Amino acid sequence: MKSQRALTSWAASLRTQATQLGQIAMLVCVGAVRARRPKGELLRQLYQVGNRSLLFVLVTLGFTGMVLVFQSCLQLSRVTGDLSQVGGEFIKYLVHEFGPSLTAMMLATRVGAGIAAEIGSMVVTEQVDALRMCGVEPVEYLLVPRFLATLAMTLLLAVFGVLSAVMMGAFTAHQTFHVPYSVFLDLSKVKLPDVLTGCIKALSYGAAIPIVSGFCGLRTHGGSEGVGWATTRAVVSSSFAVIVLDFLISALALLSWQSM
Amino acid sequence: MIALDGIRKLHLDPVQPPVFDGISLRIAEGETCGLCGPGASGKSLLLKIICGLVRPEHGTVEVAGRDLGLASPDELRSIQSRIGYLFQNNALFDSMTVQENVAFPLRQRLRLGQEALDEQQILARVSESLRGVGLATHAAKMPSQLSGGQRKRVALARAVVARPPLLIYDEPTAGLDPVTTAKIYDLLGTEQKLTKSTTLIVSSDIDALRRFSDRMLMVYRGRLCYDGPSADMDESASPVVRQFVRGELEGPL
Amino acid sequence: MTRALLTLGMVVLSLCREVGGMALLGFYTFVNLLRGRFDAKELVRNLYKMGVVSVPIVSLTALFTGGTMVIQSGIFVQRFQAYGLLGWGTGYAVLREVGPILIGLMFSGRVGANNAADLGSMVVTEQVDGLRALAIEPIPYLIVPRVLAMMLAMFCLLVLGDAVAIGGGMLFGKLLLGVDYASFYASFVDAIKLWDVTVGLLKGTFFALMIALTSCHYGLSVKGGAVGVGQSVNDAVVAAALLIMVSDDIWTMVLR
Ligand SMILES: Nc1ncnc2c1ncn2[C@@H]1O[C@H](COP(=O)(O)OP(=O)(O)OP(=O)(O)O)[C@@H](O)[C@H]1O
Ligand SMILES: [Mg+2]
Repeated sequence: MKSQRALTSWAASLRTQATQLGQIAMLVCVGAVRARRPKGELLRQLYQVGNRSLLFVLVTLGFTGMVLVFQSCLQLSRVTGDLSQVGGEFIKYLVHEFGPSLTAMMLATRVGAGIAAEIGSMVVTEQVDALRMCGVEPVEYLLVPRFLATLAMTLLLAVFGVLSAVMMGAFTAHQTFHVPYSVFLDLSKVKLPDVLTGCIKALSYGAAIPIVSGFCGLRTHGGSEGVGWATTRAVVSSSFAVIVLDFLISALALLSWQSM
Repeated sequence: MIALDGIRKLHLDPVQPPVFDGISLRIAEGETCGLCGPGASGKSLLLKIICGLVRPEHGTVEVAGRDLGLASPDELRSIQSRIGYLFQNNALFDSMTVQENVAFPLRQRLRLGQEALDEQQILARVSESLRGVGLATHAAKMPSQLSGGQRKRVALARAVVARPPLLIYDEPTAGLDPVTTAKIYDLLGTEQKLTKSTTLIVSSDIDALRRFSDRMLMVYRGRLCYDGPSADMDESASPVVRQFVRGELEGPL
Repeated sequence: MTRALLTLGMVVLSLCREVGGMALLGFYTFVNLLRGRFDAKELVRNLYKMGVVSVPIVSLTALFTGGTMVIQSGIFVQRFQAYGLLGWGTGYAVLREVGPILIGLMFSGRVGANNAADLGSMVVTEQVDGLRALAIEPIPYLIVPRVLAMMLAMFCLLVLGDAVAIGGGMLFGKLLLGVDYASFYASFVDAIKLWDVTVGLLKGTFFALMIALTSCHYGLSVKGGAVGVGQSVNDAVVAAALLIMVSDDIWTMVLR
């Protein structure tokens, strides 16, 4: 009885949250299209998102590139000893999967937490209410520039991330396994579907991260502790959104490839 | 101007009794009203309900003849932009300078097409407002560089700059010295005379509030326990109101 | 030119301050732990708060990770018609690399960020000073139990996550690629050695130490109200992610 009631109330709160998330997503998309925002704000957000995350993405993706190449070369040198294919496969894999997904995981912590912390502290200091009292829709005013900036920057940073990973991977292969750069940097395996899948992934992550973290930020209540909670929730929810989207898009890509 | 009917609002914490349990009240156009009550009795929450920032579970809120519960988001926004609100914690925008903060309501009204001003006129209005609160020299500072009292005065300037027909002040004088308090009330008075706006003030400084407004309201345990002329508060039939006004230790509070 | 040098100097200094602070915190934790000076009740409370609460998110993450890894290995498997390798590919990737990293990142978001927020708001509301005033030392009482709890919780969550991810791999392998459970399992058991599992678990537990130190350090150095707490939580998760990625590299190079 008791557990049943708990389950019902849990389901009800899940439904209201899903509705709210949907409403925010709608507002953001409509606002993004209507383009009625101050010009400087978008530039400022682009700078914020891009500049603050560039080094972070380069370093993490670079190290991941090293690890991946090292592992694959190690495994392959045990099995076949032919390392000529490693570079091509690695780059292909990077483009359609690891580059966008890992970049987005990193941005979910960097940008997602930032958005939630900023909006959350505006909520607890009543600045969001003050925006409403000036006749401004907070979702549109606060979230639309962040949405557009994250959308653009995820794609751009994914490209940088892939480049960094490829460079570090080529370096590792050259240094530890003596694979020449010309053999490693083999772009012939990267086909249009790979690039397309990668771009679709990056754009979906770039859309999901600001919406999910903005939602978490706007739901903040209760002082400085509330802001901390909102930030936490934003990191977890937007990372999870990335993982789920990765799975869904990969599955779709696999299935549509099979049918082709 | 304002009409509340049977407002009921549950507490955030479900084990607590409702914050409001049947509040009805009317405030006519051009009237000045004071609102008081013990701490955490819901004064700020009542102001937010009047502005449509918080929705009550039951009851209707009418502002300027529009039912806020039935208004579309766009209508609600346009009603809200005609209310000047001074928040209890100021709610200045951290990322903007003092000048940008005060200019913000004007710029938004311009965007909504409720005001036809050019940039020059906006700046003139802003500096006039800032001069009114004695902060003309601080226009380029960020809010974090100001003292608490100065921030309160900037927030006040932001609330009145657009000359809205309804003004709502939540604790305009909390944490200010007596002279500044007197100055602020003087400012509220001139503003009121100038614009003939309806004014609703919450304050814990009950004597100053009674001197300023002719009508007083008091909330206690979810109900309006006093609604009448300020002068008659001392002789109210309710022991709660009498004790509150006189600040006595003994009594039901 | 001088301005650029100044900025560089400031960046280096702040880097030294953060890294040094974390190392010092780690050192004190270790010393207190060796002397057995920590609050056991706090440990149990934190173990519950950090471990049990993270089970749903870690399981879900693991499930989808297993699925994604199957899809990725599936692309190769289909090309070479080598269905017998699916269990090996998925298992190796999940157990040694992707599992610890992704679960570590989720753990950092769920538990590390939470911990930083918790400690941060204790600092902001002067509760930490309150503890000192009561002659309770903050490190044995606040930090050691948290660090220990995070490492223990992460170890258990990794075991759970590995199991769920492999299960998810089998499920999605069947659904998406039509590889039946038996052949997946056979290739998995054949090719995966206990060593692979051990490396993954060790690595993940080390990640938990990194997460614990960053979150405690940033939590304790919060300054300035609600904005400061949000900022610190943000910094803590970023530093943890950076350390996870960098130390993963070192682990891979050392433990072949
Ligand atoms: N949105 C809300 N919904 C329900 N209850 C709320 C909401 N916001 C605040 N409360 C509760 O209403 C009560 C009254 O809060 P409020 O801030 O209105 O008090 P107050 O009278 O302004 O006090 P003070 O004089 O200290 O400013 C508090 O106990 C608070 O927890
Ligand atoms: Mg109040």
